Amino acid sequence: MDFLLQNVLTGLSIGSILLLIALGLAIIYGSMGVINMAHGEFVMLGAYGTWALNAFFGMGLLSSLVVVFFGVGLLGWLVERGVIQFLYRRPLDTILATWGIGVMLQQIVRLTVGGELRYVEMPHALTGTISILGTEISSYRVFVFVFVVALFLLTWYLMNRTRFGMQLRAVVQNSEMSACFGIDPKRIYGLTFAYGAGLAGLAGALVAPLKSVSPEMGTSYVIDAFFVVVLGGVQSIFGTVASAFLLGEATGTLGFLWNDTIAKALVLVGIIVLIRFRPQGLFVSKVRG
Amino acid sequence: MFDSSAHANPTRNRNRLQLALYLAFCVAIFAVPLFIDDDFLLNRYARYLVLGMVAMALSLSWGYAGILNLGQALSFGLGSYAMAMTLKLKTVPIHTGPDGLPDFMVWNNVETLPWFWVPYQSTAFAIFAGVAVPWALAAILGWFMFRGRITGVFVAIITLAILVVANLLVIDQQRYTGGFNGITDLAQLEILGLEFDAYSKSTYFLVASCLSVCLLGALAITRSKAGLIFQAIRDQEERVRFFGYDVAAYKIMAMSISAAIAGLAGMLYTVVMEFASPTFMDVPLSLSIVIWCAVGGRQSLLGATIGAIVVAGMQGALSESETFLDTWMLVMGLIFVLVVLFLPNGLAGLLDMAGRRLMRRPGALAGGPAPAKGLSGQKAKDQT
Repeated sequence: MDFLLQNVLTGLSIGSILLLIALGLAIIYGSMGVINMAHGEFVMLGAYGTWALNAFFGMGLLSSLVVVFFGVGLLGWLVERGVIQFLYRRPLDTILATWGIGVMLQQIVRLTVGGELRYVEMPHALTGTISILGTEISSYRVFVFVFVVALFLLTWYLMNRTRFGMQLRAVVQNSEMSACFGIDPKRIYGLTFAYGAGLAGLAGALVAPLKSVSPEMGTSYVIDAFFVVVLGGVQSIFGTVASAFLLGEATGTLGFLWNDTIAKALVLVGIIVLIRFRPQGLFVSKVRG
Repeated sequence: MFDSSAHANPTRNRNRLQLALYLAFCVAIFAVPLFIDDDFLLNRYARYLVLGMVAMALSLSWGYAGILNLGQALSFGLGSYAMAMTLKLKTVPIHTGPDGLPDFMVWNNVETLPWFWVPYQSTAFAIFAGVAVPWALAAILGWFMFRGRITGVFVAIITLAILVVANLLVIDQQRYTGGFNGITDLAQLEILGLEFDAYSKSTYFLVASCLSVCLLGALAITRSKAGLIFQAIRDQEERVRFFGYDVAAYKIMAMSISAAIAGLAGMLYTVVMEFASPTFMDVPLSLSIVIWCAVGGRQSLLGATIGAIVVAGMQGALSESETFLDTWMLVMGLIFVLVVLFLPNGLAGLLDMAGRRLMRRPGALAGGPAPAKGLSGQKAKDQT
């Protein structure tokens, strides 16, 4: 029984990180149809931002979250205005362009900060463990879980209950018509991309204490996050949540049975097969072959 | 404005010019050893030619059939490992454990040769497998994707994910693959009594011949009926389907031919580099292949080949220093983004455009190369 609970909790922890990274991608891909291959690099920048704020200004993890969110968000806005807005009619090329941007960001970090591993400390209050039904779990992981759930609810509120969210949904449905009603689609797209990038930055900041921070840390996240989004169904944020935790549990359990690498490989293959046979999640209509 | 012979058959003239360029390239790469008598440099150039070959393979599937295979490095790596496996088994007993076990297996306490290594004791089988395994894998993956009408970005992501899975497994299964270190300390390739030392003219000529044959073969494919259908699928898949063609079959064909060429390139890469490593099938290499192809011109087989040779060559020249290399990657990323934004057909597309511009000015007409008139004549007609 303990085993089972331990597994479930590991799965929840993996799932919450997956969701954290996928949430930003879900917003960008779901509303704009852009696969942002630089998403992983936004995550990486968030992690480095936290490290830099800590190392140079002595800021703690929690207080740097706000700075990181707006910093990476601003960068995302620049990327959208500078590159992506010209490629909305060429979806395959957005993959390539954002991939190139990702390479540039990685190299910039490598050239300025250096390629060696960096470490970010957990907030002191969260270094202990909490006992849940007799199973010990790191309180930082619990904090990440709670934070992600709160962030998700906030995002849901933003998309469905605010003026901005309504404008975004209008632009997604018909950008010309919404322009006639006085909404500026460019502004909306730019802000949406910035918000998605900001979420990626937050993800990086929160992941930083759990993993070592390196320039290439973001690469593997994009594919995982993309599959979470596709599996959940592209336009449903709730689907993203469900699939993030489903994949988290699957990875945790398989990792327990074999090892982490095999688990990751099996999960990826499993998702590919699922997408092939359950294409509801697929969003082919916006895609040119 | 144009003389009548150019009007008479512009396509044929264009094709002749293209063939002439391709043949000139093949002659040029064979002529290189006449001018360079440095085995170290020849080894380097052979390496660039191999990379040109894999970029050309991607051009066939991406530029012609519209299949953006981000996992091209997987086919390349499979070929590379096939060659490394057979060359490892050929090493002298000092390098191998008892019963001819490769040394890394001995270190990992493997006691008998795994079943999937056994056939590689035959070099002929390995050469067959180095092409057939990537071909079959691509065919299966293509069947899986294209029969389900998966297109565009999903193809890109799925192929990338498969590459990641394969790379993870190869590194994880250290007992059978040499893991992170790859397969090193190989014997020299020997075919029908011919020895291919990596640092010799023979290997260079082997690579140059394979590249020439593949390049001209691929050119022939693009000019065949199947090649035309590839391009039609790239431009308007639905319409081709309505004409009654089996779109999935053609896409599977394009992807598997491309994978077979990449597999052959991978085998040559092992011969040239004298080892196989998981970096031959990792995501950064796949990204590089895409960049070479995009910069050179995805819709031109020769453009992609030359793009790879030039870009990889410049990278090789700068790789003496770590900082240079990092800066170079940064510049490469920038060039890649700019090419994607402004030059979707790469440098080959730029040349094509420049040629057309030049031809449109009546004064420049006389100065231009004669066969190019046909090309520009056709384009000018299209524009009016």
